[in-house]
Amino acid sequence: MSPPAAPAGLAARAHPYTPLVASLAVIALAFILPAPGGPVVLALLLALAVPLSNDTGAFVPAAWLAVPFWVLLFLLHGVLGEGAHVAFGPLSVSASGLTLALTTSARLTAVILASVLLIRGFRPGRFVDAALESGWPWTAAYLTAATLHAIPRFQERAVRVQEAMRSRGLRVRGSLATRALAFIPLALPLMLGALHDVDERAFALATRQVRADGPGRTPLRPPVDTRIDRVVRWGLVLAVAGAALWRSLG
Amino acid sequence: MTAIEFARVSFRYPASLPVLREVTLNADAGQVTWLFGPLGAGASTVLLVAAGLAPSLTGGTLDGGIRVLGQTPHTREGRSALQGRVGYVTAMPYMQLSGMAESVFDEVAFAPANLGWGRERIWQAVPAALERLEVAHLTDRVPEQLSGGELQRVVIAAMLVLRPEVWLLDEPTSALDPVGRRTVRALIRSEAERGAAVLLATEDAELGLATADETILLDEGSTIARGAPAELLGTELMWEMGAGSTNVAELARAAWRLAPEPGSRMAPPFPITETEAVERWR
Repeated sequence: MSPPAAPAGLAARAHPYTPLVASLAVIALAFILPAPGGPVVLALLLALAVPLSNDTGAFVPAAWLAVPFWVLLFLLHGVLGEGAHVAFGPLSVSASGLTLALTTSARLTAVILASVLLIRGFRPGRFVDAALESGWPWTAAYLTAATLHAIPRFQERAVRVQEAMRSRGLRVRGSLATRALAFIPLALPLMLGALHDVDERAFALATRQVRADGPGRTPLRPPVDTRIDRVVRWGLVLAVAGAALWRSLG
Repeated sequence: MTAIEFARVSFRYPASLPVLREVTLNADAGQVTWLFGPLGAGASTVLLVAAGLAPSLTGGTLDGGIRVLGQTPHTREGRSALQGRVGYVTAMPYMQLSGMAESVFDEVAFAPANLGWGRERIWQAVPAALERLEVAHLTDRVPEQLSGGELQRVVIAAMLVLRPEVWLLDEPTSALDPVGRRTVRALIRSEAERGAAVLLATEDAELGLATADETILLDEGSTIARGAPAELLGTELMWEMGAGSTNVAELARAAWRLAPEPGSRMAPPFPITETEAVERWR
């Protein structure tokens, strides 16, 4: 019997460092590139690249996170902003405020989308294997992987808590007031559960030989670091460094 | 050979009353020793202490002498010496998931990889363990998406892959269907026959009767009695301490209590298996 095959998809097949470096590069470029064009183009390019990750579902949580900021920034800088106001449909908005809102929204969108894609596509076991192969100590590899994997685990727990509370009659949908009332009974077990999760992890690791002394952990399926992966990573690093140099000289 | 030794072991969790009170017991290699008692008797805590997890993970205060395969499991040296030699299965299998595995294969391979086994050895041992637990068809599945019963078998396979010298089993069939229970029963017996010491904590009297060589009765953290399961399970002591017995014994006792005539065929000790009951009441 052979071990299970790796999942399909460009991002899933890439070396684990590549999406990590790509996300960090996008976040850096969002703040380095000249506003408003740079961040807007970056956010659009990233959105167009999402299908490559085989995870178009990433748009949904990204939108949930980004859209409230867009609205808030539009109201804060556009409608209530200082400077000369111009007509924007039925509203009167500040031109400079609108530019600022657009820039900040584009930056936030790029950061959120890059982070959501990274977290959703993150495969902790594969990352640990890659890190061990690169010579990381086991604890550093595990802690990094566990940190990046914490958000999906937290989301799974949130769904379970919500389902449990709904089965006990808690109303979590409806008006804003109903949702606000449901917040505490949902948040409290979620927070306590997250603390308990730390205990569970410690227990699991203690019973699964994690404190093993001796030759160190064997990477089960060390991912291949292809030339393309390395070129992409170095290309991104150089792009960030080049952009930073260009901006600092300009 | 004695594999597990407790000499006057007492333990209390932080801010609680003593859970174990001067427990003295031993479990031999090649034997299944069954810890039996009512809820809160301390059987699970005995396993936690033997695994070296109490008090190191749970906190609390431990007194007395504990030796597992000649080592003291709650010390750093003891834990190090016992690595890969003790298979501990809790009643809540999801608590033992690594959180790092994308597939059942990787989950079962987690501990061998931590011990530095070579990939070839892992590739041979993992499928064998999965087949032994009859869960080879789950190889590619995501562990977090398994049912409770599937997960319980996978976690047992994850310990079996190490071929442990000592098994610490806490309600190992609690989530299993009848087929799964039969598989695990057979595994427990065959592991003892291989020479492993099995310390089994279960309230499932049928499982204890089917697998154990010796029963240790616990109540409120103390050892009450020990003997062969067949000798203890039919006695009134089982109900006095609130532990109960097999389904047949429960039925026999209920029938006797309808007309408790001393010396009748229904009087204790009660039959504990169908065969015994048929013999007795024929």
